[in-house]
Amino acid sequence: MANVIVAGYGIICAIGNDASAVLKSLKEGQTGIGPMRYLQSSHKELPVGEVKLSNEEMKQMLGLDKEAIISRTALMGAIAIRQALEHAQLTLKGKRVVVISGTTVGGMDMTERYFKGPSAELEEALRKHDCGSSTRQMANLAGLVDAEVCTVSTACSSAVNAIILGSEMLKRGEADIVIAGGTEALSMFHLNGFNSLMILDKAQCRPFDKTRTGLNLGEGAAFLVLTHTLVKSKELRVKNNSNNLERKSSSNPSLFTLHSSVYIRGYANRCDAFHQTASSENGEGAFLAMTDALKMAGLRPEDISYINAHGTGTPNNDASESEAIRRVFADNIPPVSSTKGFTGHTTSASGAIETVICILALQNNFLPANLGWKEQDEACITPLGNEELRMKNEEFATARNILCNSFGFGGNDSAVVIGKSSLPDFSSKEQPLLKRRGQEAFSPSLNLKSFPSGEDLGEATTCVLGEAVIDDVEQLGELREFVTAGEARRMGKLMKAATITSMRALRQAGVERPDAIITATAYGMLETSERFLTDMVENGEEMLSPTLFMQSTHNTIGSALAIRLKCHGYNITYSQGADSFRWALRDAKRLIETGKAKTVLVGQHDEATPMMQHFCRLMGCPVPPMLYSRSIVLSRKT
Amino acid sequence: MEQLINDLKQQIKEVLNLEELSLEDFDADAPLFADEGIGLDSIDVLEIIVLLEKQYGIRLANPKEGKAIFKSVRTIAEYVQANRKK
Repeated sequence: MANVIVAGYGIICAIGNDASAVLKSLKEGQTGIGPMRYLQSSHKELPVGEVKLSNEEMKQMLGLDKEAIISRTALMGAIAIRQALEHAQLTLKGKRVVVISGTTVGGMDMTERYFKGPSAELEEALRKHDCGSSTRQMANLAGLVDAEVCTVSTACSSAVNAIILGSEMLKRGEADIVIAGGTEALSMFHLNGFNSLMILDKAQCRPFDKTRTGLNLGEGAAFLVLTHTLVKSKELRVKNNSNNLERKSSSNPSLFTLHSSVYIRGYANRCDAFHQTASSENGEGAFLAMTDALKMAGLRPEDISYINAHGTGTPNNDASESEAIRRVFADNIPPVSSTKGFTGHTTSASGAIETVICILALQNNFLPANLGWKEQDEACITPLGNEELRMKNEEFATARNILCNSFGFGGNDSAVVIGKSSLPDFSSKEQPLLKRRGQEAFSPSLNLKSFPSGEDLGEATTCVLGEAVIDDVEQLGELREFVTAGEARRMGKLMKAATITSMRALRQAGVERPDAIITATAYGMLETSERFLTDMVENGEEMLSPTLFMQSTHNTIGSALAIRLKCHGYNITYSQGADSFRWALRDAKRLIETGKAKTVLVGQHDEATPMMQHFCRLMGCPVPPMLYSRSIVLSRKT
Repeated sequence: MEQLINDLKQQIKEVLNLEELSLEDFDADAPLFADEGIGLDSIDVLEIIVLLEKQYGIRLANPKEGKAIFKSVRTIAEYVQANRKK
């Protein structure tokens, strides 16, 4: 098994437009949260962590026409990827390159801007609205036209799950170079959604503080260039000896000299399986993610020198995470801080932004502060106070391992361990599984015809134990066989269909609880998202429905299934257009072949709305069906 | 007061999509959030807060304030009676 090495990284967020600027802000304790400047929302009372560039300025940086309709999500992502590639200086030619991005918002910022028209602009925005198209566009803007792209969408843990997927692909020899991370622009849609959940603080957020009342939203992107030690060889050595990069990064040469010694040592993706928008009191999902990430890294709790907490600043998250940290570390809790007081909560991008912050900390021997903390809350751990930083920094110079937590709605909890030293290096005997495909066309269509049929699944290692399909709303009658009236009342048609097909496939398979749940969806619960968006655009940014918003994240279906099945295992959602299901199947096979899961529930769930069908006709795209849900239970072939 | 209670029952039933709960069975004194009552949860609290603002012009900034108010339909009605702006 090969080691996964960080060959380079790029970052853009509220505290800086590149790694040097971010490092400077972190060291100086300078927050990036402030009054709203770029987002066109009426909620000016809410402080946000914006990237300090207009869309036009970003387009200029990327050499693009300033009139072009391009989502801020794609713009920030392309900037971070370009930085990361420049930093890594690897030759991509002839290599199998995969771009994996975590996002939920995708092109929503442009869709909401043009939702009322003009029609041509709205069409252009809709073409790149979904996460998959947004990621494809971002990769193209970064010059990676030939790379395969994938989008992971597990709400606020998306980017860490992208890093986990990339690491797994490298270890299995499925790719030579992976560019993994996440990007998320602020949008009125999710600002209002979080506001409807009443978890936004009107002052600067104070993670773990007794007086905390919520989070501040932020935005940004960060990407890591990952490769495995097997291909590091010449290229990395040459890079380390060159003066080139040091000259480029004159503000802090040390930033670029040690990066090849940072490894992704361990990680885990687990599910809290508790509630759609709240964390359990004992932080079970977080506990399992941290415990299993340490186990994979081969480390004991006392080997961790710093924890970058998820620490959003909501009363619920910080108490739950504190409990989970106490359960893992007992009396040996290392220094902990949440850096969301610097960046705001950058939602789907946060896992990558905070991983880069951890790498900067490790390479530059400093601990990031927990801005805003003053008063101890008995329910919470004590984060790093400013006065302790200097002393701790001296001890920290010998640090080798850092744990970074990243949790999301629906209890999609993940953790990653990065380290300075490496695990023993075994040479890989596995054959590459990946074939490069051409560039996918932008299309909002679900392209159901391209889904693999049952026969495609009958490969050497895996078999299908159960399967169920629903493609008509008339088939939702048997829902009540599986759920109570109380449970059914919030379900849209897609959630109903996904629940029925999943339960039927599991019943047929004779599996009560699968080891892992993998969901594929191009648009998620489009009907509820569209209702929320329509309400917001037509009636203004007040009195919006939290029920509609909480179902708008793509991982809603997968996490609802986990809650129903009490499944704390691996849980991920792919949102890469018509390719989503393929990615989901590949992941399921990977889990089964590596012995990480015996049974995996895999589903493809998508729905259309009349509006979506109307636009597909207008744009000459194939018109997707109103409802499609397919669930299969995969297992190892015996 | 009885009219307001009936209006609220209808509005809550509609906004929370309580299809199978008939208005006759919807006891104005039944606990809304306990398991033995109507069985609502924290997201329903947020929806009822939106409802109160839309229908009666009442703004609740903190869901925690709502605990005593949201005990039952009757307690909500009493609060609305005292605080309504429309």
